[in-house]
Amino acid sequence: MQKEKITSLTVVRNIEIEENKLKSFDKKCFRNNSFRVYDGEFAGVQYYLGNIGDDEGYKQAEENLALRRPYKFSLETGSRHRDKTEKEYSDKELMDITREALEYLQTHFPDFRIGGSVTSRKVTDTMQNSLGLDYSNTDCIVDISIDYKHKDSKDISDGWFSLGQRTFDMKKLTDMAENYLSAYTVQAELPEELILQQQYYTYLAKFYHCLNAENIALGTSLLTGKVGEKVFSDDFTLVHDVSDEAAWFTTFYDGEGVVLPEDKFVYIENGVVRSGFADKHTADKYGVPHTGSAGSNMTDIPFNGNVNFKVKPSDKTVKELLDGRLTVVPVIAAGGDFNDKGEYVTPVQKAFLCDGERFIGRLPEFTLKGSMFDFFGKDFIGVGSDKPVFNDYQMLARMQYSK
Amino acid sequence: MYKFPEGLYADIRIEHTSSANYSVQNGEVMQNSETSVAGAMVRVYDGSLWYTSVTNDLDSIQAELDSLAEIAEKNDAIADDPTVKLYEVHKDKVLHFDGENDIRRVSREEREKLVQDYITACIDDSIEEVRKWNAGYYHDHTVKEFYSSKGAEIVQDYQQCAVWIVYEFMINDIPLSGGKQYQSMFFIDLPGHEEEVIARRDKVIDFGRNAVDVTPGDYVCVLAPPVTGMFTHECFGHKSEADSMLNDKALRDEWELGKKVGSELVSIFDSGDMFPHRGYIAYDDEGTAVTETWLIKDGVLTGRLHDAHSAAALGEELTGNSRAQDFSCSPLVRMTNTCMQAGVTPPEELIAGVKDGIYIDNVIHGTGFSTFTMVPSLCYRIRDGKLAEPLRVNVLSGSVFQTLFDIDAVGNDLEFCDNTTCGKGGQWMPVSDAGPTIRVRSLNVN
Repeated sequence: MQKEKITSLTVVRNIEIEENKLKSFDKKCFRNNSFRVYDGEFAGVQYYLGNIGDDEGYKQAEENLALRRPYKFSLETGSRHRDKTEKEYSDKELMDITREALEYLQTHFPDFRIGGSVTSRKVTDTMQNSLGLDYSNTDCIVDISIDYKHKDSKDISDGWFSLGQRTFDMKKLTDMAENYLSAYTVQAELPEELILQQQYYTYLAKFYHCLNAENIALGTSLLTGKVGEKVFSDDFTLVHDVSDEAAWFTTFYDGEGVVLPEDKFVYIENGVVRSGFADKHTADKYGVPHTGSAGSNMTDIPFNGNVNFKVKPSDKTVKELLDGRLTVVPVIAAGGDFNDKGEYVTPVQKAFLCDGERFIGRLPEFTLKGSMFDFFGKDFIGVGSDKPVFNDYQMLARMQYSK
Repeated sequence: MYKFPEGLYADIRIEHTSSANYSVQNGEVMQNSETSVAGAMVRVYDGSLWYTSVTNDLDSIQAELDSLAEIAEKNDAIADDPTVKLYEVHKDKVLHFDGENDIRRVSREEREKLVQDYITACIDDSIEEVRKWNAGYYHDHTVKEFYSSKGAEIVQDYQQCAVWIVYEFMINDIPLSGGKQYQSMFFIDLPGHEEEVIARRDKVIDFGRNAVDVTPGDYVCVLAPPVTGMFTHECFGHKSEADSMLNDKALRDEWELGKKVGSELVSIFDSGDMFPHRGYIAYDDEGTAVTETWLIKDGVLTGRLHDAHSAAALGEELTGNSRAQDFSCSPLVRMTNTCMQAGVTPPEELIAGVKDGIYIDNVIHGTGFSTFTMVPSLCYRIRDGKLAEPLRVNVLSGSVFQTLFDIDAVGNDLEFCDNTTCGKGGQWMPVSDAGPTIRVRSLNVN
């Protein structure tokens, strides 16, 4: 009988801001535990929230073998510990950051009502098993999220921006605030050609369905029959990436303890679909390679779906990719979705015209339209090598719109 | 009992929750688990700032309370704070589910048999278009305790269970999904809907075979009751949550009580006191007894939803709408059971009165800014007063300031939709939406 334990300890401190005032200071601490025992054919799994002794946890997991949850795969081995923490902030430091940010916003932008939060989140994940596997992954960030509303606006919100950092830099926050709030009262017009500028991950949701190896095999994916084919732009490369530089909170191992070479796996390379994602069970069932994509199901056997997609940045900056053209940055685009055919339509309630780095003015409402096959295909311009506007990589693609 | 600190308001919310999950995908059991969690949120308020702490260790609650009291500033006038003054003090125990109705008494075998019965009746391997299906069951049962420094002592329970079948089809090289979920507070309500599931499955297949893309534009739309429910929730409900307008003159002017905000055919209320609908609660998470709140009567704005903070800020009465997703979350102003009142017209007459329009049969999700949106699943063209070909529609949108005036007919077929979950501020709450068939003169359709 083999044993395995997965834990996740999350410590959160959060300061809420409501209508230009501090509202609350909140502390949370959670320890999630999952105990697994394996008899070679079945797994017994027991979840527990809070502190529990290993003996008690494994005893309950053994009792759950009676549920006959199938698991026939070998456990992984290895030892690695990664801690990406740069700085841990005290309660007072967090409060000081919040007060300084709020004072700046109120002083420089008195026409706006400010809400939001400043949150420090530290997560330590561990995985250990009786074959000697010993992994841990720790990350800690401070995230400041600002909701703004102009005093004359009849809407419940006029937009938001957020900045997550491992070491907090107030200058980056004030630059971001300046960009969003200074341009808000300047009216701009929609350009004839709409180039969308948005965080790289904003439009990747459909790939979580389409690249599921099971959906590809069963024929419910838009990419069924297209593995090995060139479907998207030469410049479009889609990677699962949990390497140090790119990922926050994501562990370097999956829910079955699999660690990928360089912590990456390429699914679409220069427009060619290379593979769907599969945990060990899915890979075995459909005869495809497993890609280290098991989710850490705390209450049951692992499931297929631990992927952290990134679009590979180009070697050009956003400005260089644009070559003088302007972009549109949606701030609130709530309510739309991909349809069954992979087409994307959404009303854009709030958006800015942008030169790639700075907002020029606020745009009227419009409806954004595109297809995943076009905006990652013929309309794809690229992901910049730099991080203007947001503190993250940004995708540029042409899209259709109607007023 | 707990020793509350002097010179501060404090409350404690303790929850014990048990849940069970069972799901089968294409014949393979994907999930079969039971979990139990317990935890508490402790809050202290000094008149200017809330201090909260969340713990899984129920033995540490007093220590957490003492620790928060140390960092808060003592306020001898805390009892006169406008928010604190409003907090109600109830000593009550409301347990609907501690006897035969307790969902925890349903055995694993009964749960699995329920799902297997649906699979046996509703899965037909001869239908080529069905490529993947998932059938499952879920329940949770929660006992909540609430104690406050003003003397409140409330114990109440809540439970919900659901069974579902979702199909994934590939029809004309386009993937499509659809199915049915039945949600209730009682296990006994879940069996016996097989014919409805099969009817929905066949309707979705017919839709996939015959649907054509809509030509974007503004259309007369007839909304089926579940769509009206979501429309009520998204288009207007969120605007009635008063935490968005505490000191906001523009919003308060726009939504001034007594103002005409819609057609005289429109009347909307919210009530937590509608057992056993999904948004039912006896007391909210600040210990306030729930009430029925009329938000719009005959097109005139008559009320809004409050927690104690917003009620104090706006000088209005408590409504019992302060709700938290679970013990780990602070309460926010949330809807409970939100209902557009039925009219007198048979729904067929609403369709018969449309020469060229769209019937919205079902809806997946929506959003509630001033431009509200809804993403429908099944839509049909209306031609000369009759339902015609199925339509692929991506999104419906409209302006809250206009659309309530554009409702020109209200059906007599009120239905509750008891499987809605509302997201706000990162928290997900069970709510119920209700409404009849309605006709809207113009919605933007894409």
